[in-house]
Amino acid sequence: MNVFWRELRANRKSLIWWCVGMVLMIYAGMAKYAAYATSGTSIADLMKQMPASLSAALGFAGLDVMKASGFYGMLYLYLLLMVAIHAALLGANILAKEERDHTSEFLMVKPASRSRIVTAKLAAAFVNVTVLNLVSLGLSFAVVEQYAAGENMTDEILLLMGAMFIVQLVFLFLGSAIAAVGKRPRSAASLATTVMLVTYVVSIVVDINKNLGFLRYLTPFKYFAAAPVLDRMGYEPVFVVLSALIIVASVVVTYLAYDRRDLKL
Amino acid sequence: MNVFLQELRSQRRSTLIWSLSLAAFGSLYLLLFGAIRNDISAFEDVLKNFPPVAQAALGFVIGTLKTVSGFYAFAFTYIVLCGAIQAANLGVGAIGREIGGSTADFLLTKPRARWSILAQKALAVLVLLVATNVVLLAVTIPVAAAQGPDFDAGLFVLLSATMFFVQVIFASLGLLYGVAAKKVKSVVAVSLPGVFAFYIVGLLGAVVGEDAIRYFTPFKYFDIGYILKNAAYETGFCLVAVAVVVVAVGASFAVFAKKDVQAL
Repeated sequence: MNVFWRELRANRKSLIWWCVGMVLMIYAGMAKYAAYATSGTSIADLMKQMPASLSAALGFAGLDVMKASGFYGMLYLYLLLMVAIHAALLGANILAKEERDHTSEFLMVKPASRSRIVTAKLAAAFVNVTVLNLVSLGLSFAVVEQYAAGENMTDEILLLMGAMFIVQLVFLFLGSAIAAVGKRPRSAASLATTVMLVTYVVSIVVDINKNLGFLRYLTPFKYFAAAPVLDRMGYEPVFVVLSALIIVASVVVTYLAYDRRDLKL
Repeated sequence: MNVFLQELRSQRRSTLIWSLSLAAFGSLYLLLFGAIRNDISAFEDVLKNFPPVAQAALGFVIGTLKTVSGFYAFAFTYIVLCGAIQAANLGVGAIGREIGGSTADFLLTKPRARWSILAQKALAVLVLLVATNVVLLAVTIPVAAAQGPDFDAGLFVLLSATMFFVQVIFASLGLLYGVAAKKVKSVVAVSLPGVFAFYIVGLLGAVVGEDAIRYFTPFKYFDIGYILKNAAYETGFCLVAVAVVVVAVGASFAVFAKKDVQAL
């Protein structure tokens, strides 16, 4: 348990800053909606007739952005990007930092097996990710309600934040797997974020060009995009299974690879 | 010159990957212009039947999207964001990597003044950023020109050049952080949250006022709408940009000259 508490303490400050970032993001985003919504209903009609390619280029494909829930759905993509960065960085760094800072000697001579250390570290990372998610959830309730204008959004917010949690876990464990397998501990974090940013760009490409729709299996950002989730008020089973597979595979790889890792001292 | 060349060499591969990815993304997006142009002209007919208020709200957007440069401007925000991350990586890493990776001991014992080391590092970062932008332009200009006869090359370059300016600002800020921080443990753990923090500040405009917020984030120094309309930059914000770069680089030299660089 010592490693677990130690990791929680070590990540406390950065977690607080990430929470502040999320709070600002949600608050600023919904304030923008207020300015937007007052501009009248004729724009809403106009939006409905806008060609799909055009609304995709403008960034609100398939969402009714005149409703608070639709606008929140547009904002959601940015929230997803932020938590993905947090999760990927956290997952990669929490394992890689010992070797990077030359502290692995001190940790590894302690009477704890490597898998126990990995468990403690992953558990601490899991707690961090959960806290960030809960803060976003709580704030979304508080802020979005103000703008909802009678629209009940509890279910929508719960669904989207649940999806966000799955995406967080995907990137967290992908990050830790990359750190466990990668040869150079100093480049683990940049490798993990590169993977994450590439999948993000793929998701934008999929948005703009519908012919490339098959690519969405490659990018977790598309597994639970706001529009389809809000449309059917649920997740597509394929993507839940796919995420679960990625998470389980990454966790297994993390344990196996770190267990026999040739630590750079 | 050794430090300069060494920095170029060590960042060569990553810069190449960054430039090609940015160029590929920009080109892919530009290739979609043909399809969207037809949709837009159809939509313009629909727009005519709506009240003037609605036309005013969306008219500018539609008018902008009709030209290649205007269409490109929508994706360009993302390209600038990526470019800013690359620049912040280079800036933070330049000195931060040496101190964080405990190679500063070896570098600083060489018979070179600290200012010379920092100047060479900064120059290398500048060269790498120029190279990135040259690759981006060399790839995207032909692609954009192929999209139609109404291609305005001057405006396109003017727009694309804003990435370079934003990059220089982030590289300078990164350089200052790398020099001033006690120890940079992980470069991306600094550059990514840093760049996104400025990006979020840009989005706060709706809360604190769009005009006031522009001074606080480099992403807003070069307003795309203004550039498309006037084919020029805003003089005031150019001065702000220059001031930020000068202060950040100057402060980096001042701090690094007296910095207590701890040995392993």
